[in-house]
Parts: sequence; C-alpha cells; structure tokens
Amino acid sequence: MDIARMARLAPVDYVVMAVYFAAVLAVGWLLRRLMRTSTDFFLSGRSLPPWVTGLAFISANLGAQEVLGMGASGAKYGIATSHFYWVGAIPAMVFVGLFMMPFYYGSRARSAPEYLKLRFDEKTRTLNAVSFAVMTVFSSGISMYALGKLLNLLLGWSFDASILVSAVIVLAYIVLGGLTSAIYNEVLQFFLIVFGFLPLVWLGLVAVGGWHGLSMQLSALSVARGFPADAYTHAWRTMGDAARNPIGVEWFGLVMGLGFVLSFGYWCTDFLVVQRAMAAESMTAARRTPLIAALPKMFFPFLVILPGMIALVLSGAGGAHGLIPAKLTAAGLPLLDAAGHPVLDYDLATPMLLIRLFPTGMLGLGLTALLASFMSGMAGNVTAFNTVWTYDIYQAHIRKGASDAHYLWMGRAATVVGIVLAIAAAYVASAFNNIMDMLQLVFAFVNAPLFATFSLGMFWKRTTGHGAFWGLLSGTIGAAVHHGLTLPAGAVPGIKGGYLGLVHTYPSELAQTFWTAITAWTTCMVVTIVISLMTRPRPDEELRGLVYALTPRQTDAEHSFWRRPTTLGVIVLIMTLALNFVFF
Amino acid sequence: MSGSASLDLRLPIGGLFTALGVIIGGYGIATNGSAIYAQSQSININLWWGLVMLLVGVLMFVAGMRASRGAHPSGMHETVESPEGRATERREHRSGLEQ
Repeated sequence: MDIARMARLAPVDYVVMAVYFAAVLAVGWLLRRLMRTSTDFFLSGRSLPPWVTGLAFISANLGAQEVLGMGASGAKYGIATSHFYWVGAIPAMVFVGLFMMPFYYGSRARSAPEYLKLRFDEKTRTLNAVSFAVMTVFSSGISMYALGKLLNLLLGWSFDASILVSAVIVLAYIVLGGLTSAIYNEVLQFFLIVFGFLPLVWLGLVAVGGWHGLSMQLSALSVARGFPADAYTHAWRTMGDAARNPIGVEWFGLVMGLGFVLSFGYWCTDFLVVQRAMAAESMTAARRTPLIAALPKMFFPFLVILPGMIALVLSGAGGAHGLIPAKLTAAGLPLLDAAGHPVLDYDLATPMLLIRLFPTGMLGLGLTALLASFMSGMAGNVTAFNTVWTYDIYQAHIRKGASDAHYLWMGRAATVVGIVLAIAAAYVASAFNNIMDMLQLVFAFVNAPLFATFSLGMFWKRTTGHGAFWGLLSGTIGAAVHHGLTLPAGAVPGIKGGYLGLVHTYPSELAQTFWTAITAWTTCMVVTIVISLMTRPRPDEELRGLVYALTPRQTDAEHSFWRRPTTLGVIVLIMTLALNFVFF
Repeated sequence: MSGSASLDLRLPIGGLFTALGVIIGGYGIATNGSAIYAQSQSININLWWGLVMLLVGVLMFVAGMRASRGAHPSGMHETVESPEGRATERREHRSGLEQ
C-alpha cells in the first residue's frame, strides 16, 4: 500500500484548516492586552465563568490519548472501554468538585503542588512539582509524536514540519494570552472536536446498520476471538472473569484499579485539569467546573469509542480486522509478532474511519478536529508546566522574592522551553502499540500514589509532611517494583515490565497497569499513615481551610436549589448509573 | 483583576462556526450529486453538516453580541465575599503568598 496516498486533501480542506488556525491565533491576539500580572497569565485572574472552565476542564484532557487512544481501545476492548468514563472519570469528577475543590480553591494555592506546600511542607511540594513537570512534558511529547506520525501516514506530510507547525501555533497563542488563551481555545477546540466527530459516528452507524448491525457483527467477531458473544457490546456482563473479556481483567481490578485509583488519581490531583477549575471566578464556580464538565464527558464514549468499534467491522484493508491496518516496520513491511501474525496499529482505527467515510470538505473538518484535539492537549500540558515551573520550582528554589513582572516573563520563557522539551520527548516516544496504555502506565507511577497523599491531607488532619513525602516516594517506588516484577501476556522483559524478574503474568497491559496502580496507592496509603503516626502533627490553627475537619462546610445556601454543586453532582451520578445499566 | 469578559468567548466560536458552515455548506452545494458522496453513504454530508454548523455559529455569535452590548456581560459577576475567604487571605498574608 502506498502510504502517501491514503488520503488526498483538496483546496477546500486546506481552507478549513487555515480558518481554524486563524481562529486560535486571533483568540490569543485579542487576549494579549489582558495579561498584565502573573495571576492573569497563570490563573486567568481567577475570573472565568464555570461553563468556560468546565468545557476547558475536559478539553485539556481531550488530547491525542483520548481521541486516538479511546478509538484504539474501542477497537481492542469494545464498549467496555467506556469504563474509563462511567466507572473512572465521572465519579472522580463529582468527587473533586464536591469534596476537594473547597481546599484547592479555598486555600488560594496557585497550583496543586502549592497546596501540598501549604498543607505539608516544601519537600513534598517539590517532589510533586518535579514529577508533574516531567510528566507534562512527556504527555505533550507523546501527543506531538502521535500527531506527526499520523499526518505523515495519512497525508504524507513531513513528520518534522507537522510537529513544528502545530507547536509554533500553540506556543504563539499561549505566549500571547497565557492561561486564558489556552482555556478559551480549549473551549473552541472542544466544540470543533464534537462537531468534527459527531457526523463521523452518524455516518459510521449508517454504514454498519445502526447499533443493532454493529452488535451483530461484533458478536461474530467476539466469538471468533474466543470470547463470549456479548464481550464487545456489553460493558459489565463479561467482567466476572478476566479470561472472558478482551481487557483481561475482572470487576475488582477494574473498579479498584481504573475506577478508584487511576481515575481519582488523575482527575482529583492532576494540576492540568485542576488548574482549569482554579481559574474560575468564585468558589461555587470552581466546584461546578468538574460537574459541568461531567455532563458532556459521560457521552464521550459515543464520540470517541464508537468510531474504533465501527472501524473494526467495516470491511477494509485489515481483512478480519476491518479498517485497522497492520503496523509497519521502518522498511514499510507489516510488523509481525512472535507467532507470525501481523501486529495491528489500533491507534489508526479512528483516522482510518475518518478517511473512509468523509468526502473532501468534511475530511478537512475531521482532520482539523484531530489537530484541535492535539493542540488542546498540548496547550493544557504546557500551561500546567509553565505554572508549576514558575511558582513551585523557580520561585520556590531558584529565585525567591522577584518582581511580579519577572515571574510573568519567566512564565513566557517556560512556555517556550516546555514546548522545546516536549518536541524532544516526541522523538523519544514510540515503543508502545497503544498510546493510552503508555500514558496510563506513567499516570500509575506518578498519580496513583498522589490520590492517597491528597485525600489523606485533605481528610485526615493527623497526616504529617514527613508521612506525605515518604508515602509518595514509596508509592512511586512500589509502582515501579510491581511493574518490574510482572509482564503482560506475550511481552518480553523491558519497557513493558519484568525488568526485576518475573513473578506474575497478566492477560493484558491494562490489567497490569491497573494492578500497578493499586499497588502504588496501597503502599503510599500505608506508609503515609505509619510515618504520620510516628511524627509530630502540625497544630490545628495552621491547618484551617486546608483540612476537612477544620474548614466550615460549604452550604451553598445563597444559591437556588438547582444551581448548587451538590444537586448537579447527584444528577450527574444518576445519569452515569443509568448509562451503566443501558450498556450492562 | 482584568476582565475576561472583555472578550465574550461566544464571539470567536460563533465566528469560526459561521465561517466553517459557509465554506463546507457552500462546497456541498457546489458538489451536490457528485461521486464523492459515494463514500459517505450517498449523503451530501458537506451540505447538511455545513448547515448545522452555520446555524450553531450564527446563534452563538448573536448570543455573544447581545451579551456584549448588555450592561452586565455574561461572565462577569461580583466576587463572593465569605468569612472563609477572609480567613484564607489572613493565612495567605502570614505565609507570604499574598500578591
């Protein structure tokens, strides 16, 4: 297959892309005059309405890992991928909105690591800040790598040029308009992604005969792969036994690993998303941010997972695997696994469907939506990076007490450096066959223990700085040890685990990731509690507004019943529960 | 605090979708009946989706314009003063975080 001819763009497609580029740059340009202080630049002057911060909250996370990774997982694991939303993200978003935001926003910390500084001490903040900074660079590098690879494969564009052009655009609008510009563009990108993918799902369903047609074809495929007929079309029915579903995990590993540890770890502590809520105009707006975000988020499986499932059954280049092509070696030949079967490139599921169903015109829109997702993810990472670098590393350790103008300048410089580092990371990232699994792995090492630290810090006033620091460190080490001692089925020791010896083999990478996260969280929890009990706690007076027991309850009595965060949270949970039952 | 309200977000989004709707919808009209729609299940997706985007774009733009002309642009509210906010400010002052 001649790769460069997978798709050809017509002038109208380029016009659509150009209009989008002009729009994001215009937003940055219009906002440039508003960036007077570092608070404007890093926190949008805490002045944004909740619908804006709410949509940015999900859009910042809607990068390559979500759009391509969820399509890939949809093709690999079927509708059960929606557990990432209905067991994972949504309950965590409700929790962060109702219970944790009062401390993030109320403490007036300017970043998540800074909350750790206020609650615990400098060393805990620094540990979190450094690991977080590394992670944002890494994430945005992966996002860029995926973009460059994809545009090269689909359109024959140069890998380097694709990366450079998108990086320069993101750089320009962030340097101009800071966090406000990133957030405004994230909302714009959110709409573009939704409007680019909705017609894809619509045409896809028409092509496969609706949900009914899709279910019939997936049942046949499921049986052919040795699973029960409903393994790809029902989220829960085959979760009783790890051997009966393609994820290779049973319900406990799923709920604890993905739902509790990974998702709460990500959505409740990751400054990339929490920063959006911290930019809100008031405490109530900050608390409503993740809840408003949860409303569209719960329907995202239909937008990003369904295309992967449809791509699996539409007849195409992949033969029995629908539109999904084999991975290619550097020489352009199909990559084979140990058994001689071609290794499938699941990340291409969604883009292949796009090319298959969109004519000229809509193709431009679909590709622009993909570009928008990459840019929103990259911008989210870069704005979180420049804030953590400037406040938690530079101001804390390198240059204290400089003028505000100096930190504003440093924020802009950090934006440039962050993007340069991310470009470097893009050239490093290419070992995993599924970007989502790789990111989940990184999050498992760094984020899973974090949720234990933050929740103990917020809800148990006895927790001490020493306990938090050593707990966090041992959690991350625990994750690395578990990962080093286990392997997913069929993998060789190396980046996928097993580098410390092999004591257990999991049926899939995801199952291994979930258990790595559970190990990290448990280790952090136990070590933090034990060391806290052995060290001296801070007096209550210093912890007011930082710990649940010492902070007045949020009553929200000044708001009408339906505007209260609690009401919204309950509605979100009921709707999510209903979705679980519909696709049980 | 510099007002984010000085740019109503609905204006750029409305503008973008109006432009996209015109371009893609216009292209759909120009290519109506063309063989390129074989791949989209014989649906002139450019025309239909262009119209949808145009409608959404115009509605957003109009809503943004109306709000911008009003006395209290959307997105600008009085900051809520609460006792706990003041307590936080005191703590902030003590820990030298105040800006």
